[in-house]
Amino acid sequence: VTDQQPPPATLTCDDVRDLAAGFVLDALTPDEMVAVRTHLASCDDAHAEMAELAAALPVLAESVPIVEPPAGLGARVRAAAEADLASRAAADGPSAMTAWAPVIPPSGVASMPEATPVAPATPAPVPAAARGPRPASWALGIAAVLAIAVLGGWNLVLQGQLSDAQAYEAHMGMVLDLAAEPGAQTVVLASDGDGPTGLAVLGPNGEMAMAMQSMPATSGTQVYEAWAIAGDAAPVPLGSFQVGNDGTGTFALDDLDAEPGVVLAVTLEPGPGATAPTGPIVASGASSSG
Amino acid sequence: MSDPTRTLPLRVPTPVDDADRAILGRVAGGDLDALDALYERYKTMAYSIAYRITDDTTLAEDVVQEAFLGAWRNAARYVEGRGSVKTWLLAIVHHRAVDAVRRRRPTTELPDREDVPPPPLRLPDVWTEVAVRLDAEQVRAALSVLSDVQREVIELAYYRGLTQVQIAERTNTPLGTVKSRMRLGLLAMREVLQEHAP
Repeated sequence: VTDQQPPPATLTCDDVRDLAAGFVLDALTPDEMVAVRTHLASCDDAHAEMAELAAALPVLAESVPIVEPPAGLGARVRAAAEADLASRAAADGPSAMTAWAPVIPPSGVASMPEATPVAPATPAPVPAAARGPRPASWALGIAAVLAIAVLGGWNLVLQGQLSDAQAYEAHMGMVLDLAAEPGAQTVVLASDGDGPTGLAVLGPNGEMAMAMQSMPATSGTQVYEAWAIAGDAAPVPLGSFQVGNDGTGTFALDDLDAEPGVVLAVTLEPGPGATAPTGPIVASGASSSG
Repeated sequence: MSDPTRTLPLRVPTPVDDADRAILGRVAGGDLDALDALYERYKTMAYSIAYRITDDTTLAEDVVQEAFLGAWRNAARYVEGRGSVKTWLLAIVHHRAVDAVRRRRPTTELPDREDVPPPPLRLPDVWTEVAVRLDAEQVRAALSVLSDVQREVIELAYYRGLTQVQIAERTNTPLGTVKSRMRLGLLAMREVLQEHAP
């Protein structure tokens, strides 16, 4: 047997019945999952076997040992939802896109955006005024962000990866909003030549949001690790993220204590959890308070 | 193993279901306090499942955060009458946890990441018959009917995140046998739940 053999593009009802138990247990390959879902979406047969098999799942869920979550996790969930609200607001209007803007701890690994377009949840109206004015002193930084967003978005659309582009642009909206906060610092991240570029903003209350583009895709356990470097001090790991084929990566924190002038750098590491950089610096830049 | 003429009775909505749906409706409208309420109701179950599958506190936290954020963003897509909010939410947690452990494994055990479509966030549309409120005796009774080989394949799938093909390789068992053991094991547990249904 091999895990590399793709399933047939179109499944018959018998194929689906054969895969049903694996489907309800999440035990199919991603290709098989998509093929089954595609079939179910258009099949006249109700495929009652799916519900029959799934009826046993609560037994499995209820039989796990109870472990209480850490006290701060609820706040992280809420912060992530707040960031999502901000992203929707940044997208503006009825065409607001759903966004993926994880807020993760320094040790966490950010997940990449869902690549499948998802029907947006009812957007919560957020008055534009609530986001506050954008000081003129940020004009240069914001112009750089917009240039990156527009060019990046255009390239991504050309690549046929619209949903990732939407998520990236929505995250960029969050970066813009954070840049508008009084006391925020911007960091333009650049590399030699035509390599990765991006922009990060350090908010006045420990928030940090970063959006990168033109990054080679990670594979396996590889991650991009973000580092903060203050003066001659050793680099401090901020967290890691992975990058897909669209070449964009987003990253956010809510507890960064950064001094003015701090340098941010991104390295490619073999896995999450690095305590010191081992891979090459792919992009870096120093913070500027305008 | 299963009498095809029998079907589980349609679930009667409970006050818990009604309260959950009301909360989810507010979540769909962008109410952060409602998300807090949903989290408080199911944080322990969600984290317990995530930790059981990932065996890693940091990864489990990320999974739970992603799952609740997924629920936050897709609450409007929840279809009333197709299972409880709890079942819907915990299935999202399971999807996320399985995806997380598969990404964590060495690349030799993973399909090429470039070929990996996103994990499904929503349940199949046929998700209708799931019982929700099980007591410890029902759980014990349902698990006790599994043969050793059925328990093995179901545990490797549900708790370890292995695909059917990976299970076949690991247990040196034909793929068709793995599928059959999964199916018969799930149906056996369902039958016990029917017998213990109130």
